[in-house]
Amino acid sequence: MTLSTLDWSILGPATLAGLIVLATHVPLGREVLRRGIIFIDLAVAQIAGLGVIATAAMGWEVHGFAAQLSAFVAATMGALLLYACERRFKESQEAVIGVVFVLAATGGILLLANNPRGGEELKDLLVGQILWVDAHTLWPAVLISAFVLTIWSMGGRWVKGVGFYLLFALSVTVSVQLVGVFLVFASLILPALASRHARHGLATAYVVGGLGYATGLLLSAIFDLPTGAVIVWCLTAWAVIIDLMLPHKSLSEV
Amino acid sequence: MKSPVSVLALAAWLLSAPALADLKVFACEPEWAALAGELGGARVEAVAAVTGAQDVHYIQARPSLIARVRNADLVVCTGADLEVAWLPLLLRQANNPRVQPGQTGFLAAADFVTLLEIPVAVDRAGGDIHPFGNPHIQTDPRNILPVAVELSARLGAIDPDGAAEYARLLEDFRVRWQQALERWQARAAALAGMEVVVHHNSWIYMNAWLGLDQLGSLEAKPGVPPSAGHLAALLAQIGSHNPRAIVRAAYQSARPSEWLSGRAGIPALVLPHTVGAVEGADDLFAVYEVMLDRLEGVAP
Repeated sequence: MTLSTLDWSILGPATLAGLIVLATHVPLGREVLRRGIIFIDLAVAQIAGLGVIATAAMGWEVHGFAAQLSAFVAATMGALLLYACERRFKESQEAVIGVVFVLAATGGILLLANNPRGGEELKDLLVGQILWVDAHTLWPAVLISAFVLTIWSMGGRWVKGVGFYLLFALSVTVSVQLVGVFLVFASLILPALASRHARHGLATAYVVGGLGYATGLLLSAIFDLPTGAVIVWCLTAWAVIIDLMLPHKSLSEV
Repeated sequence: MKSPVSVLALAAWLLSAPALADLKVFACEPEWAALAGELGGARVEAVAAVTGAQDVHYIQARPSLIARVRNADLVVCTGADLEVAWLPLLLRQANNPRVQPGQTGFLAAADFVTLLEIPVAVDRAGGDIHPFGNPHIQTDPRNILPVAVELSARLGAIDPDGAAEYARLLEDFRVRWQQALERWQARAAALAGMEVVVHHNSWIYMNAWLGLDQLGSLEAKPGVPPSAGHLAALLAQIGSHNPRAIVRAAYQSARPSEWLSGRAGIPALVLPHTVGAVEGADDLFAVYEVMLDRLEGVAP
């Protein structure tokens, strides 16, 4: 190796991307956990991808803005569908989400089967790797995150209902492209899981997320391991450590 | 952060690793790293982004990849969109003006050989038919020399002090490669006309070189699981022909070719597609030696 990989210009954009993703995913993840709809992010990401594939299957050019638009439209429609399901079959919402996930994933395969486009590129269009993040392209993500957080913090009935699904679809479509599905799932669930009994839940969750990304990026640079995967393991390690450190409520309080 | 002392120790360890090479070559694929090693000798330090056991279409982003491209004097890749999923991102992140496409420090091997399967018309409605042709050029050893000539010229242009040495190494390599080509050509005669089935359509240059006849491909469309109809058609096609092997690369899943092997009673065969892909394929010469050995093993 000819250059220390502990280089801010390499790790900096990835760190910023991680912080932007955490900003929205920590509060959204706590809500996901509260509602018990853990796999909703995988379903939404898959639907966004299906939207892009469907657009391509109709013969439209899908790059840049057009791809983003079809991803958002599909994710929004998926979010509305999931909201409708929550209202109708509340007790089986998790199962419905699972079904939607496999339908979206296999729907992509079926759409691509009659399409001479190989499909590998299309499938990966919406899956980012955190190390490839370019600082200049982070601005749209910053604006969307700020928008989501603003609406979220205003609270109200809308945010507790259909608003949650719409904000979630918007956030996940952006974050999956920045950091990939594994990190999106980990950023949603692990901080929320670690902080579920904590007194200052939201703050604890942000600390877990921040520590996870920071140590993950550092270890990835030191041991030259794939960055996203290391961060997932570090998030898990910090979630366990923080959870063990915090005084647990007695069982009667839970 | 760690303590300052351990960071310093780490930096010292990282900096102590490089050889005393003048010129740093970053190759996307092992075959070009090996070629740079042949042509640069001790003046060149060449590393490859993937190993022979990995799929070059995809790559997991690691910090050292960016650091290496940032520090490279020359980037050698196959091109023709083989690395399109990650190389543009890597070049952008590395932000090294010397190795951007169009510069002396960026060499796309596919620009210097004749590509096959170039579509006559790129029709958007027809989908993503590859506009540049099939990029798997290194499976034909006759494609190596033109790339070697260009690579050697680039080394000399970037490191003029070593130009004489690079010219000598190129001449040495050219002689050895020509001799090997003649040896291989003699062995190829026995394989001409042999029928094969492939996993992924990445062997057409080898087929052209050895005169193999590709009956079909397990993947009708890359990345999409084969349909029942496609496999049935393939089996029917095999029934009326006499293919000797189902060829795949080391990084590809064994399952589809083992499945077909069991049905059709034809051996599944892993061929080296690059340096380090299979045991024994330790340098450029050995890749084609092993390729021929294994094909001769199933030949009639």
